[in-house]
Amino acid sequence: MNVIETRELTKYYGSLFWKKKEPALDKLSIAIPEGSVFGFLGPNGAGKTTTIRLFMDLIRPTAGEALLFGKPPDDLETKRQIGFLPDNPVFSSYLTAYEFLDICAKLLRVPSSERKKRIEEVVELVKMSKHLHSKLGGFSRGMTQRIGIAQAVLNRPRLLILDEPLVGLDPHGRQELKDIILHQKNSGTNVFFSSHILSDVEKMCDRISILHQGNLLCFGKLEELLSETGSRVHVKHGEDEIIKDLLPEATGTIRLSDGSWELVFQDKPELSKRIKSLAEQHPKAITITPSRENLEDFFFRKIENAKQII
Amino acid sequence: MNEIMAIAGGTWRRILRMRVVYFLIICVLILIGSAYNYDILSLGMHKQLMMDISLVLNTIAAILITVSITFEIPKELKEGVASTLLSKPLGRTQYLIGKLVGIIITAVVITGLITLGFIFLYNAAFGEVSGSMIKGHMLVMASVMPMAAIGVLFSVFMPEFLAATATVIAIWLAHSVTSLSKIKFLYGGIIPDLNLYNLRAEAVSGIHIGWGYMIAVVIWGIVFSIFATAVASLIFSYKDLK
Repeated sequence: MNVIETRELTKYYGSLFWKKKEPALDKLSIAIPEGSVFGFLGPNGAGKTTTIRLFMDLIRPTAGEALLFGKPPDDLETKRQIGFLPDNPVFSSYLTAYEFLDICAKLLRVPSSERKKRIEEVVELVKMSKHLHSKLGGFSRGMTQRIGIAQAVLNRPRLLILDEPLVGLDPHGRQELKDIILHQKNSGTNVFFSSHILSDVEKMCDRISILHQGNLLCFGKLEELLSETGSRVHVKHGEDEIIKDLLPEATGTIRLSDGSWELVFQDKPELSKRIKSLAEQHPKAITITPSRENLEDFFFRKIENAKQII
Repeated sequence: MNEIMAIAGGTWRRILRMRVVYFLIICVLILIGSAYNYDILSLGMHKQLMMDISLVLNTIAAILITVSITFEIPKELKEGVASTLLSKPLGRTQYLIGKLVGIIITAVVITGLITLGFIFLYNAAFGEVSGSMIKGHMLVMASVMPMAAIGVLFSVFMPEFLAATATVIAIWLAHSVTSLSKIKFLYGGIIPDLNLYNLRAEAVSGIHIGWGYMIAVVIWGIVFSIFATAVASLIFSYKDLK
Protein backbone atom coordinates (compact mmCIF):
# COMPACT_ATOMS: atom_id res chain seq x y z
CA MET A 1 0.00 0.00 0.00
CA ASN A 2 1.17 3.51 -0.74
CA VAL A 3 1.76 5.70 2.27
CA ILE A 4 0.79 8.81 0.31
CA GLU A 5 -0.99 8.97 -2.99
CA THR A 6 -2.35 11.99 -4.80
CA ARG A 7 -4.47 11.99 -7.93
CA GLU A 8 -4.49 15.24 -9.89
CA LEU A 9 -4.51 17.15 -6.63
CA THR A 10 -5.25 20.80 -7.38
CA LYS A 11 -5.62 23.84 -5.19
CA TYR A 12 -6.66 27.35 -6.12
CA TYR A 13 -6.71 29.83 -3.25
CA GLY A 14 -9.47 32.38 -2.96
CA SER A 15 -13.00 32.59 -1.66
CA LEU A 16 -16.27 31.05 -2.71
CA PHE A 17 -16.87 33.87 -5.19
CA TRP A 18 -13.33 34.68 -6.26
CA LYS A 19 -10.39 32.46 -7.07
CA LYS A 20 -6.79 33.26 -7.97
CA LYS A 21 -5.98 32.68 -11.63
CA GLU A 22 -2.86 30.65 -10.96
CA PRO A 23 -3.19 27.42 -9.00
CA ALA A 24 -1.04 26.97 -5.91
CA LEU A 25 -0.92 23.31 -6.85
CA ASP A 26 -1.73 21.94 -10.28
CA LYS A 27 -2.79 18.31 -10.84
CA LEU A 28 -0.19 16.74 -8.57
CA SER A 29 -0.08 12.96 -8.95
CA ILE A 30 2.46 11.08 -6.87
CA ALA A 31 2.59 7.77 -5.03
CA ILE A 32 5.01 7.16 -2.20
CA PRO A 33 5.48 3.55 -1.17
CA GLU A 34 6.02 2.30 2.37
CA GLY A 35 9.52 2.52 3.85
CA SER A 36 10.60 5.80 2.31
CA VAL A 37 12.22 8.99 3.47
CA PHE A 38 10.76 11.39 0.95
CA GLY A 39 12.17 14.84 0.26
CA PHE A 40 9.74 17.38 -1.10
CA LEU A 41 11.70 20.15 -2.79
CA GLY A 42 10.93 23.39 -4.51
CA PRO A 43 11.64 27.11 -4.32
CA ASN A 44 9.49 29.43 -2.22
CA GLY A 45 5.91 29.51 -3.46
CA ALA A 46 6.26 26.19 -5.27
CA GLY A 47 3.27 24.69 -3.45
CA LYS A 48 5.08 22.50 -0.91
CA THR A 49 3.26 23.80 2.17
CA THR A 50 -0.03 23.80 0.26
CA THR A 51 0.45 20.11 -0.53
CA ILE A 52 1.31 19.29 3.07
CA ARG A 53 -1.73 21.23 4.33
CA LEU A 54 -3.89 19.26 1.92
CA PHE A 55 -2.43 16.04 3.37
CA MET A 56 -3.28 17.24 6.87
CA ASP A 57 -6.83 18.27 5.92
CA LEU A 58 -6.12 21.86 6.93
CA ILE A 59 -7.18 23.11 3.51
CA ARG A 60 -9.60 21.59 1.04
CA PRO A 61 -8.59 20.65 -2.52
CA THR A 62 -10.21 22.44 -5.46
CA ALA A 63 -10.00 19.20 -7.45
CA GLY A 64 -8.41 15.78 -7.22
CA GLU A 65 -7.75 13.82 -4.09
CA ALA A 66 -5.08 12.89 -1.59
CA LEU A 67 -4.97 9.53 0.14
CA LEU A 68 -2.93 8.65 3.20
CA PHE A 69 -2.66 4.92 3.78
CA GLY A 70 -5.43 4.62 1.20
CA LYS A 71 -7.85 6.84 3.12
CA PRO A 72 -8.84 10.50 2.80
CA PRO A 73 -6.95 12.94 5.04
CA ASP A 74 -9.99 13.74 7.22
CA ASP A 75 -10.18 10.15 8.45
CA LEU A 76 -9.48 10.36 12.19
CA GLU A 77 -8.11 6.81 12.40
CA THR A 78 -5.56 7.70 9.72
CA LYS A 79 -4.63 10.91 11.54
CA ARG A 80 -3.86 8.80 14.60
CA GLN A 81 -1.00 7.22 12.62
CA ILE A 82 0.50 10.51 11.48
CA GLY A 83 2.86 12.95 13.14
CA PHE A 84 2.99 16.48 11.75
CA LEU A 85 5.35 19.39 12.27
CA PRO A 86 4.00 22.58 10.66
CA ASP A 87 6.09 25.21 8.95
CA ASN A 88 6.94 27.85 11.57
CA PRO A 89 5.12 26.14 14.45
CA VAL A 90 3.26 28.30 16.98
CA PHE A 91 1.77 26.83 20.13
CA SER A 92 -0.43 28.24 22.90
CA SER A 93 1.93 30.61 24.69
CA TYR A 94 0.10 30.35 28.04
CA LEU A 95 0.70 26.60 28.33
CA THR A 96 3.83 24.91 29.61
CA ALA A 97 5.54 22.40 27.33
CA TYR A 98 4.19 19.59 29.51
CA GLU A 99 0.62 20.88 29.43
CA PHE A 100 0.74 21.29 25.66
CA LEU A 101 2.14 17.80 25.11
CA ASP A 102 -0.45 16.44 27.55
CA ILE A 103 -3.26 17.95 25.44
CA CYS A 104 -1.66 16.43 22.31
CA ALA A 105 -1.37 13.04 24.04
CA LYS A 106 -5.05 13.20 25.02
CA LEU A 107 -6.02 14.03 21.44
CA LEU A 108 -3.91 11.09 20.27
CA ARG A 109 -5.61 8.87 22.86
CA VAL A 110 -2.37 7.88 24.54
CA PRO A 111 -3.55 5.88 27.60
CA SER A 112 -3.44 8.00 30.78
CA SER A 113 -1.16 5.47 32.51
CA GLU A 114 1.39 5.90 29.74
CA ARG A 115 1.02 9.61 29.04
CA LYS A 116 3.58 11.03 31.47
CA LYS A 117 6.21 8.48 30.50
CA ARG A 118 5.65 9.08 26.80
CA ILE A 119 5.92 12.85 27.22
CA GLU A 120 9.17 12.52 29.15
CA GLU A 121 10.48 10.16 26.50
CA VAL A 122 9.86 12.53 23.55
CA VAL A 123 11.10 15.56 25.45
CA GLU A 124 14.29 13.66 26.23
CA LEU A 125 14.58 12.79 22.53
CA VAL A 126 14.52 16.47 21.53
CA LYS A 127 16.74 17.46 24.49
CA MET A 128 14.14 19.70 26.14
CA SER A 129 13.72 17.92 29.50
CA LYS A 130 15.03 20.96 31.40
CA HIS A 131 12.27 23.14 29.93
CA LEU A 132 9.37 20.74 30.37
CA HIS A 133 7.57 22.97 32.88
CA SER A 134 8.41 26.31 31.25
CA LYS A 135 5.80 28.28 29.36
CA LEU A 136 5.89 27.93 25.58
CA GLY A 137 5.52 31.70 25.21
CA GLY A 138 9.09 32.17 26.43
CA PHE A 139 10.66 29.69 24.01
CA SER A 140 13.04 30.64 21.19
CA ARG A 141 12.39 29.57 17.58
CA GLY A 142 14.69 26.59 17.94
CA MET A 143 13.13 25.47 21.24
CA THR A 144 9.63 25.76 19.75
CA GLN A 145 10.81 23.70 16.79
CA ARG A 146 12.05 21.00 19.15
CA ILE A 147 8.71 20.90 21.00
CA GLY A 148 7.07 20.72 17.58
CA ILE A 149 9.11 17.64 16.80
CA ALA A 150 8.27 16.16 20.20
CA GLN A 151 4.52 16.52 19.60
CA ALA A 152 4.93 15.04 16.12
CA VAL A 153 6.53 11.82 17.38
CA LEU A 154 4.38 11.53 20.52
CA ASN A 155 2.12 8.89 18.96
CA ARG A 156 4.99 6.85 17.48
CA PRO A 157 3.62 7.61 14.02
CA ARG A 158 3.71 5.39 10.95
CA LEU A 159 4.09 8.52 8.85
CA LEU A 160 5.93 11.64 9.89
CA ILE A 161 5.19 14.77 7.85
CA LEU A 162 7.63 17.61 8.47
CA ASP A 163 7.30 21.01 6.82
CA GLU A 164 10.71 22.69 6.73
CA PRO A 165 11.90 20.95 9.91
CA LEU A 166 15.47 22.18 9.70
CA VAL A 167 14.63 25.88 9.62
CA GLY A 168 15.36 27.76 12.82
CA LEU A 169 17.79 25.21 14.21
CA ASP A 170 21.47 25.82 14.81
CA PRO A 171 23.96 23.43 13.15
CA HIS A 172 24.03 21.26 16.27
CA GLY A 173 20.22 21.18 16.39
CA ARG A 174 20.07 20.35 12.69
CA GLN A 175 22.37 17.39 13.19
CA GLU A 176 20.25 16.19 16.11
CA LEU A 177 17.09 16.46 14.05
CA LYS A 178 18.68 14.57 11.18
CA ASP A 179 19.59 11.85 13.67
CA ILE A 180 15.97 11.80 14.91
CA ILE A 181 14.66 11.49 11.34
CA LEU A 182 17.08 8.64 10.61
CA HIS A 183 16.15 7.01 13.91
CA GLN A 184 12.47 7.25 12.94
CA LYS A 185 13.27 5.75 9.54
CA ASN A 186 15.17 2.87 11.13
CA SER A 187 12.27 2.17 13.47
CA GLY A 188 9.96 1.78 10.47
CA THR A 189 8.43 5.24 10.23
CA ASN A 190 7.85 6.71 6.80
CA VAL A 191 9.12 10.27 6.63
CA PHE A 192 7.90 12.97 4.26
CA PHE A 193 9.59 16.31 4.58
CA SER A 194 10.03 19.53 2.70
CA SER A 195 13.29 21.38 2.88
CA HIS A 196 15.42 24.00 1.24
CA ILE A 197 18.63 22.47 2.55
CA LEU A 198 19.49 20.25 -0.39
CA SER A 199 22.65 18.71 1.04
CA ASP A 200 20.64 17.36 3.99
CA VAL A 201 17.92 16.03 1.70
CA GLU A 202 20.54 14.26 -0.42
CA LYS A 203 21.99 12.59 2.66
CA MET A 204 18.69 11.49 4.19
CA CYS A 205 16.17 10.83 1.42
CA ASP A 206 15.77 7.89 -0.84
CA ARG A 207 13.03 9.49 -2.91
CA ILE A 208 12.39 13.08 -3.89
CA SER A 209 10.14 15.27 -5.94
CA ILE A 210 10.66 18.82 -7.15
CA LEU A 211 7.80 21.22 -7.39
CA HIS A 212 7.85 24.55 -9.23
CA GLN A 213 4.95 27.00 -9.33
CA GLY A 214 2.52 24.27 -8.41
CA ASN A 215 3.76 21.85 -11.08
CA LEU A 216 5.61 18.63 -10.49
CA LEU A 217 8.96 18.74 -12.29
CA CYS A 218 10.29 15.35 -11.30
CA PHE A 219 9.53 12.52 -8.95
CA GLY A 220 11.31 9.29 -8.17
CA LYS A 221 14.19 7.52 -6.48
CA LEU A 222 17.03 9.91 -5.77
CA GLU A 223 19.61 7.45 -7.03
CA GLU A 224 17.85 7.07 -10.37
CA LEU A 225 17.21 10.78 -10.82
CA LEU A 226 20.81 11.73 -10.14
CA SER A 227 22.15 9.06 -12.46
CA GLU A 228 20.96 11.17 -15.38
CA THR A 229 24.61 11.40 -16.42
CA GLY A 230 26.42 14.23 -18.02
CA SER A 231 30.12 14.59 -18.70
CA ARG A 232 32.95 16.56 -17.20
CA VAL A 233 35.56 17.66 -19.75
CA HIS A 234 39.02 18.77 -18.69
CA VAL A 235 40.76 21.01 -21.25
CA LYS A 236 44.46 21.77 -20.80
CA HIS A 237 45.87 25.31 -20.51
CA GLY A 238 46.45 27.04 -23.84
CA GLU A 239 43.80 25.21 -25.87
CA ASP A 240 41.77 28.36 -26.42
CA GLU A 241 40.21 27.20 -29.69
CA ILE A 242 38.70 24.14 -28.04
CA ILE A 243 37.43 26.22 -25.14
CA LYS A 244 35.81 28.72 -27.50
CA ASP A 245 34.15 25.87 -29.32
CA LEU A 246 32.77 24.11 -26.27
CA LEU A 247 32.05 26.96 -23.88
CA PRO A 248 28.60 27.93 -25.24
CA GLU A 249 27.29 24.38 -24.68
CA ALA A 250 28.66 23.94 -21.16
CA THR A 251 26.24 24.02 -18.23
CA GLY A 252 29.08 24.69 -15.82
CA THR A 253 32.62 26.02 -16.13
CA ILE A 254 35.53 26.13 -13.71
CA ARG A 255 38.91 27.80 -14.41
CA LEU A 256 41.49 25.84 -12.43
CA SER A 257 44.56 27.38 -10.83
CA ASP A 258 46.91 25.88 -13.46
CA GLY A 259 45.00 27.72 -16.19
CA SER A 260 43.16 24.66 -17.42
CA TRP A 261 39.36 24.49 -17.70
CA GLU A 262 36.78 22.07 -16.46
CA LEU A 263 33.53 22.11 -18.39
CA VAL A 264 30.34 20.31 -17.44
CA PHE A 265 27.93 19.11 -20.12
CA GLN A 266 24.52 17.56 -20.05
CA ASP A 267 23.96 14.22 -21.60
CA LYS A 268 22.84 15.17 -25.13
CA PRO A 269 23.66 12.62 -27.89
CA GLU A 270 24.85 15.14 -30.52
CA LEU A 271 26.94 17.06 -28.06
CA SER A 272 28.52 13.87 -26.69
CA LYS A 273 29.42 12.85 -30.22
CA ARG A 274 31.08 16.21 -30.88
CA ILE A 275 33.05 16.11 -27.64
CA LYS A 276 34.17 12.56 -28.35
CA SER A 277 35.39 13.50 -31.80
CA LEU A 278 37.24 16.53 -30.38
CA ALA A 279 38.84 14.28 -27.78
CA GLU A 280 39.97 11.91 -30.51
CA GLN A 281 41.50 14.81 -32.44
CA HIS A 282 43.23 16.25 -29.33
CA PRO A 283 43.85 13.30 -27.05
CA LYS A 284 46.47 15.14 -24.98
CA ALA A 285 44.40 18.26 -24.50
CA ILE A 286 41.04 16.80 -23.55
CA THR A 287 40.09 14.33 -20.86
CA ILE A 288 36.45 13.22 -20.51
CA THR A 289 35.04 11.80 -17.28
CA PRO A 290 31.40 10.87 -16.79
CA SER A 291 29.83 13.04 -14.12
CA ARG A 292 27.03 12.38 -11.65
CA GLU A 293 25.21 15.52 -10.61
CA ASN A 294 24.70 16.31 -6.99
CA LEU A 295 21.19 17.17 -5.85
CA GLU A 296 21.91 20.88 -5.80
CA ASP A 297 22.98 20.94 -9.48
CA PHE A 298 20.10 18.69 -10.40
CA PHE A 299 17.63 20.92 -8.55
CA PHE A 300 18.84 24.14 -10.17
CA ARG A 301 18.94 22.57 -13.61
CA LYS A 302 15.35 21.39 -13.28
CA ILE A 303 14.19 24.77 -12.01
CA GLU A 304 16.05 26.65 -14.78
CA ASN A 305 14.58 24.35 -17.43
CA ALA A 306 11.11 24.92 -16.01
CA LYS A 307 11.63 28.70 -16.05
CA GLN A 308 12.67 28.57 -19.71
CA ILE A 309 9.58 26.56 -20.63
CA ILE A 310 7.33 28.99 -18.75
CA MET B 1 -15.48 13.28 24.40
CA ASN B 2 -11.83 13.09 25.57
CA GLU B 3 -10.81 15.26 22.65
CA ILE B 4 -13.47 17.87 23.46
CA MET B 5 -12.43 17.97 27.11
CA ALA B 6 -8.74 18.27 26.14
CA ILE B 7 -9.54 21.41 24.11
CA ALA B 8 -11.88 22.70 26.82
CA GLY B 9 -9.09 22.19 29.38
CA GLY B 10 -6.78 24.45 27.35
CA THR B 11 -9.36 27.26 27.29
CA TRP B 12 -10.00 26.85 31.02
CA ARG B 13 -6.27 27.14 31.77
CA ARG B 14 -5.91 30.20 29.55
CA ILE B 15 -8.65 32.15 31.30
CA LEU B 16 -7.60 31.09 34.79
CA ARG B 17 -4.10 32.42 34.04
CA MET B 18 -5.43 35.86 33.17
CA ARG B 19 -4.97 38.05 36.25
CA VAL B 20 -7.63 40.42 34.98
CA VAL B 21 -10.26 37.74 35.69
CA TYR B 22 -9.52 37.80 39.42
CA PHE B 23 -9.48 41.58 39.32
CA LEU B 24 -12.90 41.48 37.63
CA ILE B 25 -14.36 39.18 40.32
CA ILE B 26 -13.00 41.39 43.13
CA CYS B 27 -14.26 44.61 41.48
CA VAL B 28 -17.72 43.14 40.91
CA LEU B 29 -17.97 42.03 44.55
CA ILE B 30 -16.75 45.42 45.81
CA LEU B 31 -19.38 47.20 43.69
CA ILE B 32 -22.11 44.81 44.87
CA GLY B 33 -21.06 45.30 48.49
CA SER B 34 -20.96 49.08 48.11
CA ALA B 35 -24.70 49.11 47.31
CA TYR B 36 -25.27 48.63 51.05
CA ASN B 37 -24.14 52.24 51.59
CA TYR B 38 -26.76 53.69 49.24
CA ASP B 39 -29.55 53.45 51.82
CA ILE B 40 -30.21 57.22 51.85
CA LEU B 41 -29.88 57.77 48.11
CA SER B 42 -32.15 54.79 47.41
CA LEU B 43 -34.68 55.86 50.05
CA GLY B 44 -34.13 52.66 52.01
CA MET B 45 -34.28 50.46 48.90
CA HIS B 46 -30.61 49.47 49.19
CA LYS B 47 -31.55 45.82 49.67
CA GLN B 48 -33.28 45.74 46.28
CA LEU B 49 -30.49 47.91 44.84
CA MET B 50 -27.84 45.39 45.91
CA MET B 51 -29.83 42.55 44.36
CA ASP B 52 -30.33 44.50 41.13
CA ILE B 53 -26.68 45.53 40.89
CA SER B 54 -25.51 41.99 41.59
CA LEU B 55 -27.57 40.61 38.69
CA VAL B 56 -26.49 43.39 36.29
CA LEU B 57 -22.79 43.07 37.17
CA ASN B 58 -22.87 39.28 37.06
CA THR B 59 -24.43 39.49 33.58
CA ILE B 60 -21.71 41.93 32.45
CA ALA B 61 -19.03 39.60 33.85
CA ALA B 62 -20.61 36.69 31.95
CA ILE B 63 -20.62 38.74 28.73
CA LEU B 64 -16.96 39.76 29.16
CA ILE B 65 -15.84 36.19 29.73
CA THR B 66 -17.85 34.73 26.86
CA VAL B 67 -16.63 37.46 24.52
CA SER B 68 -13.04 36.34 25.24
CA ILE B 69 -13.74 33.30 23.03
CA THR B 70 -14.07 35.66 20.06
CA PHE B 71 -10.44 36.62 20.59
CA GLU B 72 -9.16 33.11 21.23
CA ILE B 73 -10.52 31.24 18.19
CA PRO B 74 -9.55 33.78 15.47
CA LYS B 75 -6.13 34.23 17.11
CA GLU B 76 -5.51 30.48 17.17
CA LEU B 77 -6.60 30.28 13.54
CA LYS B 78 -4.43 33.22 12.50
CA GLU B 79 -1.29 32.09 14.34
CA GLY B 80 -1.57 28.46 13.30
CA VAL B 81 -2.10 27.07 16.83
CA ALA B 82 -5.41 25.56 15.65
CA SER B 83 -3.66 23.88 12.71
CA THR B 84 -1.34 21.95 15.03
CA LEU B 85 -4.30 20.77 17.09
CA LEU B 86 -6.41 19.95 14.04
CA SER B 87 -3.59 17.91 12.53
CA LYS B 88 -4.20 15.50 15.41
CA PRO B 89 -7.19 13.15 15.33
CA LEU B 90 -9.55 15.97 16.18
CA GLY B 91 -12.54 16.92 14.04
CA ARG B 92 -13.23 20.56 13.31
CA THR B 93 -16.62 20.31 15.03
CA GLN B 94 -14.95 18.73 18.07
CA TYR B 95 -12.52 21.66 18.18
CA LEU B 96 -15.36 24.19 18.18
CA ILE B 97 -17.37 22.24 20.76
CA GLY B 98 -14.25 21.97 22.92
CA LYS B 99 -13.79 25.75 22.80
CA LEU B 100 -17.49 26.25 23.57
CA VAL B 101 -17.46 23.81 26.49
CA GLY B 102 -14.26 25.37 27.85
CA ILE B 103 -15.67 28.88 27.82
CA ILE B 104 -19.01 27.74 29.27
CA ILE B 105 -17.36 25.88 32.17
CA THR B 106 -15.06 28.82 32.89
CA ALA B 107 -17.85 31.41 32.69
CA VAL B 108 -20.17 29.30 34.87
CA VAL B 109 -17.44 28.91 37.50
CA ILE B 110 -16.64 32.64 37.50
CA THR B 111 -20.28 33.79 37.57
CA GLY B 112 -20.84 31.08 40.22
CA LEU B 113 -18.05 32.60 42.34
CA ILE B 114 -19.63 36.04 41.95
CA THR B 115 -23.02 34.57 42.95
CA LEU B 116 -21.51 32.95 46.05
CA GLY B 117 -19.74 36.20 46.93
CA PHE B 118 -23.01 38.12 46.52
CA ILE B 119 -24.97 35.63 48.67
CA PHE B 120 -22.32 35.96 51.37
CA LEU B 121 -22.43 39.78 51.23
CA TYR B 122 -26.23 39.95 51.09
CA ASN B 123 -26.59 37.53 53.97
CA ALA B 124 -24.02 39.44 56.00
CA ALA B 125 -25.82 42.75 55.32
CA PHE B 126 -29.46 41.73 55.62
CA GLY B 127 -29.41 38.29 57.25
CA GLU B 128 -31.56 36.64 54.59
CA VAL B 129 -31.35 34.88 51.23
CA SER B 130 -34.32 34.51 48.90
CA GLY B 131 -34.99 31.73 46.40
CA SER B 132 -35.88 34.05 43.51
CA MET B 133 -32.60 35.89 44.00
CA ILE B 134 -30.60 32.66 43.68
CA LYS B 135 -32.67 31.56 40.70
CA GLY B 136 -32.00 34.93 39.04
CA HIS B 137 -28.27 34.33 39.37
CA MET B 138 -28.63 30.75 38.19
CA LEU B 139 -30.17 32.00 34.97
CA VAL B 140 -27.31 34.47 34.53
CA MET B 141 -24.98 31.45 34.74
CA ALA B 142 -27.15 29.58 32.23
CA SER B 143 -27.10 32.56 29.83
CA VAL B 144 -23.40 32.00 29.13
CA MET B 145 -24.33 29.04 26.93
CA PRO B 146 -26.22 30.90 24.13
CA MET B 147 -23.88 33.90 24.45
CA ALA B 148 -20.78 31.71 24.01
CA ALA B 149 -22.44 30.00 21.03
CA ILE B 150 -22.96 33.42 19.40
CA GLY B 151 -19.28 34.19 20.03
CA VAL B 152 -18.15 30.89 18.47
CA LEU B 153 -20.38 31.49 15.44
CA PHE B 154 -18.82 34.90 14.69
CA SER B 155 -15.26 33.72 15.50
CA VAL B 156 -15.11 31.15 12.73
CA PHE B 157 -15.37 33.63 9.90
CA MET B 158 -14.36 37.02 11.30
CA PRO B 159 -11.07 38.46 12.57
CA GLU B 160 -10.88 38.86 16.33
CA PHE B 161 -11.90 42.51 16.84
CA LEU B 162 -14.72 42.27 14.33
CA ALA B 163 -15.94 39.02 15.89
CA ALA B 164 -15.85 40.57 19.37
CA THR B 165 -17.73 43.66 18.20
CA ALA B 166 -20.32 41.60 16.33
CA THR B 167 -20.80 39.35 19.38
CA VAL B 168 -21.26 42.29 21.76
CA ILE B 169 -23.78 43.90 19.38
CA ALA B 170 -25.67 40.61 18.96
CA ILE B 171 -25.75 40.06 22.73
CA TRP B 172 -26.93 43.64 23.27
CA LEU B 173 -29.69 43.18 20.68
CA ALA B 174 -30.59 39.83 22.22
CA HIS B 175 -30.92 41.45 25.65
CA SER B 176 -33.07 44.24 24.17
CA VAL B 177 -35.71 42.07 22.55
CA THR B 178 -38.54 43.72 24.49
CA SER B 179 -37.63 47.27 23.55
CA LEU B 180 -36.54 46.49 19.99
CA SER B 181 -39.14 43.86 19.13
CA LYS B 182 -40.67 46.09 16.47
CA ILE B 183 -37.67 45.54 14.23
CA LYS B 184 -39.03 42.30 12.86
CA PHE B 185 -36.13 41.25 10.64
CA LEU B 186 -33.90 41.08 13.70
CA TYR B 187 -36.20 38.95 15.77
CA GLY B 188 -37.52 36.40 13.36
CA GLY B 189 -35.72 33.77 15.38
CA ILE B 190 -32.26 34.87 14.19
CA ILE B 191 -31.34 36.78 17.32
CA PRO B 192 -31.98 34.81 20.51
CA ASP B 193 -34.13 36.32 23.24
CA LEU B 194 -31.67 36.69 26.12
CA ASN B 195 -34.33 38.59 28.05
CA LEU B 196 -35.62 35.15 29.00
CA TYR B 197 -32.60 34.97 31.34
CA ASN B 198 -33.30 38.36 32.90
CA LEU B 199 -35.18 37.87 36.17
CA ARG B 200 -34.14 41.11 37.81
CA ALA B 201 -37.68 42.39 38.25
CA GLU B 202 -38.87 39.09 39.77
CA ALA B 203 -35.84 38.75 42.01
CA VAL B 204 -36.02 42.32 43.30
CA SER B 205 -39.78 42.12 43.91
CA GLY B 206 -39.50 38.67 45.46
CA ILE B 207 -41.87 37.13 42.89
CA HIS B 208 -41.77 33.35 42.83
CA ILE B 209 -40.01 31.83 39.79
CA GLY B 210 -41.09 28.29 38.98
CA TRP B 211 -38.61 25.50 38.21
CA GLY B 212 -40.61 24.75 35.06
CA TYR B 213 -39.69 28.16 33.66
CA MET B 214 -36.05 27.70 34.65
CA ILE B 215 -35.80 24.31 32.96
CA ALA B 216 -37.61 25.54 29.82
CA VAL B 217 -35.22 28.48 29.47
CA VAL B 218 -32.15 26.28 29.96
CA ILE B 219 -33.45 23.81 27.35
CA TRP B 220 -34.11 26.70 24.96
CA GLY B 221 -30.51 27.85 25.52
CA ILE B 222 -29.17 24.38 24.77
CA VAL B 223 -31.23 24.14 21.56
CA PHE B 224 -30.10 27.58 20.40
CA SER B 225 -26.46 26.74 21.22
CA ILE B 226 -26.64 23.49 19.24
CA PHE B 227 -28.13 25.40 16.30
CA ALA B 228 -25.51 28.18 16.42
CA THR B 229 -22.64 25.69 16.83
CA ALA B 230 -23.93 23.59 13.93
CA VAL B 231 -23.96 26.68 11.67
CA ALA B 232 -20.46 27.62 12.92
CA SER B 233 -19.26 24.08 12.26
CA LEU B 234 -20.67 24.11 8.73
CA ILE B 235 -18.87 27.38 7.93
CA PHE B 236 -15.69 26.13 9.62
CA SER B 237 -15.69 22.87 7.65
CA TYR B 238 -15.15 24.82 4.41
CA LYS B 239 -12.51 27.13 5.81
CA ASP B 240 -8.87 26.90 4.73
CA LEU B 241 -6.67 27.01 7.81
CA LYS B 242 -3.31 28.73 8.12
